[in-house]
Amino acid sequence: MTDETNPFGELVEEYVLECLPLAEQVADAFVAVERCWREGEDASALLTAIAGPLHTIKGNSAMMGLAAMRDTAHALEDACGVLRHDAESPDPAAGALLAAGGSLLVELVRRARDNPEADEALEFVERVRQWLARGASPALETQPERRRTERRGTASSAGQADDRSASVVRVDFRRLDAMLEILGEGLIQQAALTESVRGLTRRIGPADQVSRLDQAVVALEKTLKRLESTLMETRLLPLSTVVSRFPRLVRDTAEAEGKRVRLLLSGGETPLDKAVLDRLSEPVLHLLTNAIVHGIESPGERRAVGKSDEGTVRLTAAPEAGRVVIRVSDDGRGLDEQAIRRKGESLGRDGRSESGLALRDLIFLPGLSTAPQVSALAGRGVGLDVVAGAIHALGGTIDVETAPGAGTSFTLSLPVTLAIVRSLIVEVDQERYALPLAHVAETVRAEPEAIRQINHRGVAAWRGGLIHVADGGDVLETRQARPAGRRFYVVMAAAGRRRGLLVDRLVGHQDVVVKSLDPELGRPVLVSGTTILGDGRVACILDAVRLLEGGRRAG
Amino acid sequence: MRRTFLVIDDSKLHHQMYRLIFSRGTLAGSTVYLAANGREGYGLLAAHPELSMVFLDLNMPEMNGLELLERRRAEALHLHIPIVLVTTEATAADEARGRAAGAWEYLRKPFQPADIERLVERAVAGSATAG
Repeated sequence: MTDETNPFGELVEEYVLECLPLAEQVADAFVAVERCWREGEDASALLTAIAGPLHTIKGNSAMMGLAAMRDTAHALEDACGVLRHDAESPDPAAGALLAAGGSLLVELVRRARDNPEADEALEFVERVRQWLARGASPALETQPERRRTERRGTASSAGQADDRSASVVRVDFRRLDAMLEILGEGLIQQAALTESVRGLTRRIGPADQVSRLDQAVVALEKTLKRLESTLMETRLLPLSTVVSRFPRLVRDTAEAEGKRVRLLLSGGETPLDKAVLDRLSEPVLHLLTNAIVHGIESPGERRAVGKSDEGTVRLTAAPEAGRVVIRVSDDGRGLDEQAIRRKGESLGRDGRSESGLALRDLIFLPGLSTAPQVSALAGRGVGLDVVAGAIHALGGTIDVETAPGAGTSFTLSLPVTLAIVRSLIVEVDQERYALPLAHVAETVRAEPEAIRQINHRGVAAWRGGLIHVADGGDVLETRQARPAGRRFYVVMAAAGRRRGLLVDRLVGHQDVVVKSLDPELGRPVLVSGTTILGDGRVACILDAVRLLEGGRRAG
Repeated sequence: MRRTFLVIDDSKLHHQMYRLIFSRGTLAGSTVYLAANGREGYGLLAAHPELSMVFLDLNMPEMNGLELLERRRAEALHLHIPIVLVTTEATAADEARGRAAGAWEYLRKPFQPADIERLVERAVAGSATAG
């Protein structure tokens, strides 16, 4: 259908590049709309969000002379226009129509280079036309009485819903980032103010005016904290914005593997910072795919061991002690511990066997995949180490539990936000550093005799094993002379690795506001960001995962 | 004659399309500045009083076409430069608001290179009579 003489024909690659992500966004949203209606929820916000991308696809397709895409997008726009006003009416026919249209649009855009035939598009446009001709909404037609009474009965709540949508504004997320940055500066200034008021109190005693100043500063601190928590709430989105596309993907994967799988989602309302959500989707999808490919058995196998044909994969999320815990579990065959141990031994580096490690440490090693056959989806050696890496990069932890024949469960614990990190502040050679608490296993007083030098490396006994304890000054390259003796070491843990870091002082716990590094500095290997402490000093936030990897390279 | 244009559109694809148009036919050799949103576009408009014409998309994040026109009118910035408001399906009310805010002309998508050429010719003719 492409016009051969279209002046912009040579831009078809750019067209796909721009429109495919938009089409996928539209298709995913339609699947979510269908689900909303099935569960009797309001989908009007989703329908509104779809309008922009659809409009762009339509305009771009028209410019490119791609009639099939233009007409499909146009028909979907028309359907959305009608449904937006009637979005709370669950309508299976409309839901299925939209979902089919979304998939069609993705396919058409994907194949734009090959001038897709418009037959399917024409057919779809005709279906929409017929459906629209049936009246404002099929739901109105099938249940006119019930609907009208419902309307009357809930008139007041409908009014409230309208009020709510009228008071909602859309804000560019970067603006929220900027606000957080400014608030961070405010918090630092307030901390500096607090310090000087304390200094003043020490110098001239608790005079009337000084104590009033002190009270004002304390009030300011409280106000800023309230502003901080309000702003953090504003940045939160429910997990469901990411997981809503999973049912479709799970269905496709199960089908490709010849398995029957039911996905149960719960805790979709759990809020997370958008910056965390954006980077969470891939690792969680990886775990779901693993559960289907490795975990769930074929229907025949399941029957043979007395399970139902259909396997169950659960994705649950819940807030827990200031963090969010996400669990991906299946009722499949469980991990093959022996195979993992064999593989782990064969991967043992430096001639050392890794067999002493626990199963949960082995399975996150790079290159470990026990899939006997390489399928399109799994068994290519790109495995859980990638998932673990992504989770650690988010300041999270990952753990696994498995029982032969009963299933496997992965537990992720994530910070609600990346903007503020709970940290342990330590001092090494007069410099202060923030260590994310998520990766701090323990702080230990460093008795001189407890750390022994083996092969020029410090080694200490810790929880029934040995860990490498490195000097903070060596690692951070700050040491000028042999230190008189570091007084503590911090045991860091991530990615199944542990390592001690000798420091001079433990300063305390603090929620630090992360400031990203100036790109001109490059990316220092061990530093993930900076923060400003209460006394105005700049401190580097150390990247625990790289710190632990560095120890490995050095050895 | 070599001319200078400013394109304000959030679509990279449209940037490429304008590039093609301004590198061929009667417009070949033109200079073209590209902006991805109204805010960026406004900065470029302010910096280039020599612009022959501006092509401004209506729907954009960070200052849309109408907002840009209204701000430009309020600040009386380079009012001699004709601005073409580009839309997919503007309503009559949108069009009226655009004209009231100082849009010189409308262009509806999909458009062809010839449509742009005609608009440029008209603008040149207009400024010739005015001058």
